[in-house]
Amino acid sequence: MADPILKIEGLEVAVEDKPILKGVNLEVPQGEVHALMGPNGSGKSTLAYALAGHPRYDITGGSVFFDGKDLAEMEADERAQAGLFLAMQYPVEVPGVSVMNFLRSAVNATRGEEIPVREFAKLFKEKSALLQFDPSFADRYLNEGFSGGEKKRHEILQMALLEPKFAVLDETDSGLDVDALRTVSEGVNAQRGPDLGVLIITHYTRILNYIKPDVVHVMYEGRIAKTGGPELAEQLEAEGYVGFGSAEPAAAPR
Amino acid sequence: MADAPAWATEARDEAAAAFEALPVLTGGEEEWRFTPPADLGMNGDGAAGGATTASIDLPATSGRAARLAFIDGAPAPAEVIDLPEGVIVAELGEALAAHEDLVRDRLYSLAGFDDRPGALNAASWDAGTFVYVPRGVEVTLPIEAVLAATGARGHVFGRTLVIVEEGAKATVIDRYLSPDLDGAVHASTVVEMFVADGGELEHVSYIGWGRGMRHQATIRAAAGKDARVRSVNVTLGGDVVRVEPTMYCRGTGSDARALGLYFATGSQHFEHRVVSRHEAPQAYSNLLYKGAIQDTAHTVFFGNLVVPPGAPGTDAYQTNRNLILNEGARADTIPFLEIETAEVKCSHAGAVGRVDDEHLFYLMSRGVPKLEAKHQIVYGFFQEVLDEISFDELRDELADAARAKVR
Repeated sequence: MADPILKIEGLEVAVEDKPILKGVNLEVPQGEVHALMGPNGSGKSTLAYALAGHPRYDITGGSVFFDGKDLAEMEADERAQAGLFLAMQYPVEVPGVSVMNFLRSAVNATRGEEIPVREFAKLFKEKSALLQFDPSFADRYLNEGFSGGEKKRHEILQMALLEPKFAVLDETDSGLDVDALRTVSEGVNAQRGPDLGVLIITHYTRILNYIKPDVVHVMYEGRIAKTGGPELAEQLEAEGYVGFGSAEPAAAPR
Repeated sequence: MADAPAWATEARDEAAAAFEALPVLTGGEEEWRFTPPADLGMNGDGAAGGATTASIDLPATSGRAARLAFIDGAPAPAEVIDLPEGVIVAELGEALAAHEDLVRDRLYSLAGFDDRPGALNAASWDAGTFVYVPRGVEVTLPIEAVLAATGARGHVFGRTLVIVEEGAKATVIDRYLSPDLDGAVHASTVVEMFVADGGELEHVSYIGWGRGMRHQATIRAAAGKDARVRSVNVTLGGDVVRVEPTMYCRGTGSDARALGLYFATGSQHFEHRVVSRHEAPQAYSNLLYKGAIQDTAHTVFFGNLVVPPGAPGTDAYQTNRNLILNEGARADTIPFLEIETAEVKCSHAGAVGRVDDEHLFYLMSRGVPKLEAKHQIVYGFFQEVLDEISFDELRDELADAARAKVR
């Protein structure tokens, strides 16, 4: 069997000297979709940021290999160029940087060559339609004045444009109404295939009704507490995280 | 100015006398507490010295209505390329006699000899730019003047006088250039601009000196009834630079904007003192200066909106924003208001912020390399000011020059 696209062994991560991840073991074979669930504060988002290379998240122990490369040795931009993508839970607004310029430079950087302007325009139009992303937003500043749903659509649009080998979706369902969740999920499903691995980070099971995971992991207090098939999500939907020592439900509040 | 008319020679003598009579600037004065006057040669002590002469290539600008170039502040005739009937572009020293009727009343009337920088320039300049646009005439292409320093002279002087008559329209660029110099050279420049009723003027001052230059620049513009004046100042070069633009809203309904972009790197020290004076009712002014500061550079912004009694309906804004690119770089911002009329709308804001790590991370997480991410953030920060420059090619050139300083 080929090496998994993502291989995490004994990973320890600290934020401002405070240990958050305390020995995470996780493997995602290429082409599979895994869900990472867990109550608030269990360390899910920390794992997402640590994978993407946020400078505030220090890897203090263990290892992370992505496509055979040691991520600890790579800056955030190098990780993205290698094919890793993080759809962020809270995409920041960057005043003065236009969406169009940003997307084009991101595509150029990840491809390692300049994409012709017309080809990019075509690609942008096609992928925007897929995600029902308003193309007039191209002239706006990055995420500025975007609603919560528009920000999430924009994240998945970037994923579609950059065609990563592996995508981490950090709480992509939070703040989305059902229609937006369906659109975003369809956008992800359209990219699903043997050349894309996905890690869906979510507190609630809701998004997993739209993007069916192959494997479900539960994180608790900085470690993977349980791994199972899709039925594990159903169990969490019914029971919440009580079996892991948390009273939080996993079914979305109605 | 060998053939200058008697009045001009007298004015020069008067300026020299005023310079001697005015107290020496010590740096203890309130308005000089950020930039030592001696660093700018404000006491007539000539060059800090030691500069060796270097050759300079003037920019190969195209698409200009007229061009002037003064090497080390020495007179040279204007090159007229494409000017509408009646428009005058001439070397200012020649214009003293040749266009006495236009020059005599205005020269020194906005920037006179009542302070040492003004008196020093008035007593010392040899060459300058004179632009006159008659009533109702529009000059579509910019008129550009270059003051270049080579190190051959320790103190270079420049002076610009622009007159835009009723309903006329023009764009004037003053560009300041030098190669990197080993020693220090002082520069003193004054720009006086008069825009009559309903006239429009865009003035761009681009301070693009190399290393070694120390520059005091005075920029003053008077706007008549319903006139529009836009003064854009871009400071990127020079070791020590102090720029003092003042906008005078003299006519009812006048619209005066002072826009600035500065980017100080290395150990550069830039000070901008920007003022709008509302001397008529119902006028609009907007001061918008944005600066980036990197390495151990230091910038100072002092802004003031002055609304004396008798200017109701004033609409005046002042904003200064600074982007610190690394620890050790420093920006001071002092927005000020002097309002003595009741019925006015005024606002002022000054801010200093750091490049946001979250912004950098977001761009980098999409594969954009750190330097390119910083370029985009700095360009984005400056864009609000750059957008106000009408000529695309000049705007792109200035954007590129600013971007090239990011490291």
